[in-house]
Amino acid sequence: MIHSHDPRMNRLGLPDAPATAAAKGALDQFGTYEAFHQKKEGAPFVYVGPVHAPEADVAFLFAKEQYSRRFACTGLWVVPTAAITVTDYVGDQEWAYDSLPLLTNQQAAATATADPRFGDDTAAEEAAYAAGEEDYDIFHLKKRGKAHQHVGKVRANSPAQALQVAKAVFGDQRPVVNVWAARSADFLRSDDEDRDIWTTTPDKKYRDAISYKVQDRIERFKAETGTSQAD
Amino acid sequence: MNPTLDLLYRLADDQLILGHRNSEWNGLGPILEEDIAFSSMAQDKLGHSLQLYSLLRALGEAEPDTVAFTRNAPQFHCCQLVELPIGEYDFSLTRHFLFDHAELLRFEALATSSYEPLAQVARKLRGELKYHALHANTWMKRLGTATDEAIERMQRSLDFTLPYALGIFEKTDAEAEIISSGLFVGEDELRGRWLESISKVLAQTALEVPDVLALTPVMGGRYGQHTEHLQPLLDEMAEVFRLDPTADW
Repeated sequence: MIHSHDPRMNRLGLPDAPATAAAKGALDQFGTYEAFHQKKEGAPFVYVGPVHAPEADVAFLFAKEQYSRRFACTGLWVVPTAAITVTDYVGDQEWAYDSLPLLTNQQAAATATADPRFGDDTAAEEAAYAAGEEDYDIFHLKKRGKAHQHVGKVRANSPAQALQVAKAVFGDQRPVVNVWAARSADFLRSDDEDRDIWTTTPDKKYRDAISYKVQDRIERFKAETGTSQAD
Repeated sequence: MNPTLDLLYRLADDQLILGHRNSEWNGLGPILEEDIAFSSMAQDKLGHSLQLYSLLRALGEAEPDTVAFTRNAPQFHCCQLVELPIGEYDFSLTRHFLFDHAELLRFEALATSSYEPLAQVARKLRGELKYHALHANTWMKRLGTATDEAIERMQRSLDFTLPYALGIFEKTDAEAEIISSGLFVGEDELRGRWLESISKVLAQTALEVPDVLALTPVMGGRYGQHTEHLQPLLDEMAEVFRLDPTADW
């Protein structure tokens, strides 16, 4: 049996070598969700990373502790990874919307009717929903290696059209090296009234390695015992 | 014992012991994300105990580390529920569900305690406890409506754990004064609110809830009577501290 300095491990009575594991079937893991957080009120939601979860409620629980356990946070969204439509990634000097397929005349006409003043006109909005259009959340990546950031919503009848509408509505924004579009209905979002779940997070300094000021003590210990880096 | 000290020791000891127990899942949780979430909540509970031991310190009791790491089992005021070994994950989740509902409601009531320092701590922790209850409810609803195996395991854990959970509400000699002085609404009142609260969630599952108030509660913890599991927990928790009690961490 494995003997560990960790008594919890000893209590498990684990064998020295792992038993030969049976091959796992494909898809025996949970699916993934993507999480976005808001650092402070009014700030855009920013992509923080994925979690594995069986459903959105559980994804939210996981994302909360995975991605907002250290710093101030005022909001959290999760959305199934599969619900996000992604454009091509382009170079830092290019514009991701240029990678969208060119529209047919008919598509161009449909996109042109999309109202860029989103949410301003209730009657137009209702007519659009009645015609099968839906809201989409749009995220831009400004630079490779950074995180996608929420830029706003558009209304469209498909993810492909949502990207075309976003190109028209957010067309003045540069740089954009990648765009995500996801149906607004597919997101699970924290309620404003539940913002207090993050009240104490900034106080938890013990979760930050930087809060443990040990370097002085290490230096002193080395001096006292005559140890050095070379030892 | 002075009613304020009596109440604080019970609260703090419950938080410390359950926080330590739940931390034993760290690195061993069912999946990575759940391991992180459960460990974070365990850490929160240790944080709660520190805040409560600090209130005791301000009232003239010993330093939090001394109180946490140098007492033996008969000097602890925690209920027996929190000291039971972590068992299988179904038990740990069920204990988390039953304890954290009581904890959330207790601190909600304490937010208006006549002892203002305690009321302040209670108000501050509100959001944190809300997440803990959300976590517990989500899993209880999910597993309580999942496969036959999940439902059977959760049912068995619920039946086993409920009598221990009733021990949370064990009263001490100070109870009458705690209520009359406005420190806290009292254990009977809390138990009523708790039963209503857990019943609402359990009603959304396939689990059968027995007549809870007809069960025989597992009492004694508030008076220092503990299971054989508490002393080994204390020895393990304090192992490093006792190597050099004067060390400054």
